[in-house]
Amino acid sequence: MNAIERLRTMMLIRAFERTLAARPDHGFQLLSAGEEAVAVGLCSALQPGDQLLTGGRSIGPALARGVDPKTVMAELLGKSAGVNRGKAGRGHLADPEHGFFGAHAVVGGNLSIAAGVALAQQLSGQPNIVCVLFGDGAAGSGALHETLNIAALWKLPLLFVCNNNQLSVSTPRRAALAPRRLADLAAPFGVPAQTVDGMDVVAVAEAIASAARGVRSGAGPAFVECESERFGPHSTTARETRDPETLERIRARCPILRLTGDLELAGAVSPASLATLEAEVEAMVAEAVAFAEAAPYPSPSEALADVG
Amino acid sequence: MSAKAPRVFFREAIARAIAEAMRADPRVIVLGQDVGAFGGAYREFEGLYAEFGGARVRDTPVAEAAIMGIGVGAAAAGYRTLVSITYMDFVMLALDPLVNYAAKLRFKTAGRLTAPVVLKTTAGARGQGVAHSQCLESWLMSVPGLTVVAPSNPADAYGLMRSALRADGPVVFVDHKRLYPIPGNAPASDVPVPFGQARIARPGTDITITAHSFMVQVALTAADALAKEGLSVEVVDLRSLAPLDIDTIAASVSRTGALLTVEEGQLTCGVGAEVAARLRERQGGLNVARVGAIAAPVSSNHVLEAAAIPDVERVAQGVRALLRARESGHPNSVCSGGGPGAV
Repeated sequence: MNAIERLRTMMLIRAFERTLAARPDHGFQLLSAGEEAVAVGLCSALQPGDQLLTGGRSIGPALARGVDPKTVMAELLGKSAGVNRGKAGRGHLADPEHGFFGAHAVVGGNLSIAAGVALAQQLSGQPNIVCVLFGDGAAGSGALHETLNIAALWKLPLLFVCNNNQLSVSTPRRAALAPRRLADLAAPFGVPAQTVDGMDVVAVAEAIASAARGVRSGAGPAFVECESERFGPHSTTARETRDPETLERIRARCPILRLTGDLELAGAVSPASLATLEAEVEAMVAEAVAFAEAAPYPSPSEALADVG
Repeated sequence: MSAKAPRVFFREAIARAIAEAMRADPRVIVLGQDVGAFGGAYREFEGLYAEFGGARVRDTPVAEAAIMGIGVGAAAAGYRTLVSITYMDFVMLALDPLVNYAAKLRFKTAGRLTAPVVLKTTAGARGQGVAHSQCLESWLMSVPGLTVVAPSNPADAYGLMRSALRADGPVVFVDHKRLYPIPGNAPASDVPVPFGQARIARPGTDITITAHSFMVQVALTAADALAKEGLSVEVVDLRSLAPLDIDTIAASVSRTGALLTVEEGQLTCGVGAEVAARLRERQGGLNVARVGAIAAPVSSNHVLEAAAIPDVERVAQGVRALLRARESGHPNSVCSGGGPGAV
């Protein structure tokens, strides 16, 4: 993924989620405005055969991984043309053929699942790695401790990426988690770890690529903490707990504006090319919406399909 | 039953079923505490580590939640994993990957992923106390997407394990501490026991007892005792709790006219409650009673343990009480209870 592709993907995520949230039928969604650099930087460092597993804030990572925006939109709106026939929704979206093994909306729930996928990769001798993306909320769970221990012990090809967006619903990370840095959680297991500015897509991509190289070489797991900011409330139904001044300060750190500014300084984009990019992503979102709107809802009898 | 038939122990039947599955399919792996060179708490994995090595027969730390998740994740990614959780009480630690992920995976991905994982665990009371004795299989029966089996003898243990290691989705295989010392007929090789098929363990004409796992042995002993009183008891070994073979139970009860459900677990929302309710929905008037544990924890104190769980005498009392009620003309009464004298 080159710089323009990174910018376009971050813009796509922002526009996609904004359009989705504006719809009265958007359901219950966890959005990722402010956190696009984590998803995009991460995915730009993965290879096609790798697998990504995430928590419930999955829309950005799924789009960044290359899941078709049309089937994602249809999935989120509950349509049969969705990537999982509208049965999974945001919380459980899965497209393993595109390297998105899936979301799991239980906080911390995907950590050990990802280790199992990594074990399968290791046993079958494939060169691919597995990446699990989780929030700071999952960093307090026993699942992380158990999984880090086993992944280190078995040298699993597993990359832990913590998207530390500073809040677990309303609870600030400092009020919930004792470690000075969340990357410190990996140290007792001898797992190489680093903390990176999650608002800087270039820094995220470099950190993930470097960590992924080690994992891919057979050295065992690695851990990257990305410090990001959540621009909105926890979910589309949750109350915002921060005051307007704080939000304004946080939003000024926008990763899309940051990359745009850097590219402008470097002469890589112009107002005209930015307008073109903007039009491209808006067209993709409009196409996704049209696709979803044209698709039917599942029939009630599908409630019993694929059980077991 | 020929006295000359070869006899095997439960552990041998389980080890044989797993070994045969592992020979046939290189993607079958085993994960759990002490499953490797040690051979399992009951030696039920004996020989697997020597034959298949540590990559496929993996000792794990004490981390039930992660081990279940890793087993489920590897299964979702194309392997076929058997996860051993020593005692059923500890399955509580592993419920998230089992219930929230594995049981729902095929549904939520609309068939794109599935988790062919077998959770093998040992239930039942045998002197180990309140958190090492429970029979929680009825909890898991209510989870759509989970298959739950609980064999009562080595041949069925073999056959159900073979089926479990061929299944498409997650299977919970529940055995029992008190079954390990009881030998039984050797299973015929490579003959799986299908899910959802109960077995008439003993034919009879006066009353049907349904039971699973170790309580089948208890029910059979009670049936022997009751035969001396002139009562003919049919014992249906459920074998598979989810799916439940209501057809076989209904056919039996239509012959005998009375049903006593027996289980070692709790009666409230228990296996017997489910059997009775489904049977009542299937057919009209039903003479039914349930025997199970009293509503109390199971102590390691042998006096209190024995007071808590059903035994041969309690099952026999249940049969006598139900048949007396039928004769006295209360055909639809549902007598529930399970404690000493409570049936």
